[in-house]
Amino acid sequence: MLATRALSLIGKRAISTSVCVRGGHGVAKVEDYTLPDLSADQKSLKEKEKGSWAALSNEEKIALYRISFKQSFAEMNQGSSEWKSVVGGIFFFVGFTGLVVLWQRKYVYGPVPHTFDPEYKEKELQRMLDMRINPVEGFSAKWDYENKQWKK
Amino acid sequence: MAHPTLLGFQDAVSPVMEELLHFHDHALMIVFMISTLVLYIIVAMVTTKLTNKYILDSQEIEIIWTVLPALILILIALPSLRILYLMDEINDPHLTIKAIGHQWYWSYEYTDYEELGFDSYMIPTQDLASGQFRLLDTDHRMVVPIESPIRMLISAEDVLHSWAVPSLGVKMDAVPGRLNQAAFIASRPGVFYGQCSEICGANHSFMPIVVEAVPLEHFEKWSSLMLEDA
Repeated sequence: MLATRALSLIGKRAISTSVCVRGGHGVAKVEDYTLPDLSADQKSLKEKEKGSWAALSNEEKIALYRISFKQSFAEMNQGSSEWKSVVGGIFFFVGFTGLVVLWQRKYVYGPVPHTFDPEYKEKELQRMLDMRINPVEGFSAKWDYENKQWKK
Repeated sequence: MAHPTLLGFQDAVSPVMEELLHFHDHALMIVFMISTLVLYIIVAMVTTKLTNKYILDSQEIEIIWTVLPALILILIALPSLRILYLMDEINDPHLTIKAIGHQWYWSYEYTDYEELGFDSYMIPTQDLASGQFRLLDTDHRMVVPIESPIRMLISAEDVLHSWAVPSLGVKMDAVPGRLNQAAFIASRPGVFYGQCSEICGANHSFMPIVVEAVPLEHFEKWSSLMLEDA
């Protein structure tokens, strides 16, 4: 019973998911489509607007525009210098973190294991090549065994 | 084995790992394409001067961005399931090896023909011979013959461990009181490294796995020697 009731609705009307059409509050703001409170001068200008627009002077046209819009396109699109502060701040904090890291390395961390010594690393490298580690596309695949050098 | 400049997977040793490698390439390509598209859309949305505050609905694009992701998911799922079922194929192992996790070493048992068992401890850093790999090399390696299906039975004596060798494409939890089965074939000879992959206490990072794949004659010689030494 419920199914037929639901099915009879579908096809009869579109189910709207648009909040603004259903009047969800705050989406269609009343300021967006009504005029603000006007002074006496502005009211008389609005009356004059009902006549021929050719009769309006440039200043009057601009005044009418300003009644309806807060900013001109040029004012709206102009950038600011805020990005410089943001980038500067980023550099500062990254640099400060770097200082912290350097201090830690000197005063907190102990010595690295002996396996990091360059001679040991060479022996490891030779052993990896002898054992043909990753010979298909990886490590040993890049070594030229004939000429004993890395492949160009 | 892994090394510092390795970005992707290690070269595959088993056929299953090869399949996984190629599937990963496929899935990652799809991911890159989606990310590029989304990044482009974000940049376009953020930098456009066009506005329309009164759009109500948009049936066409809603259909597209529902159907297209569904198709992409199918494109990912089909190869994925193929490999999943491939891994579950009935195989006929030539050899069964038990790998048992302890705190903090692995022990291996080859009990098909004789009773061969040994422990495999990591070589401590101060005892490394010249050129051995820190935290990876062990005193005894698990030796297997190449080109033979191997059945691994993996368990643990105390806490959870996990037996993993990335280049073989194997990872299987070692659960106390349970036997987990994994299978692989080593298609080429070599030495393949892995590490315990389930937190198991203080030395969880120090119980690696080393598998050595050798021709059958070498394997037979090795197992005879190991039996003598035992």
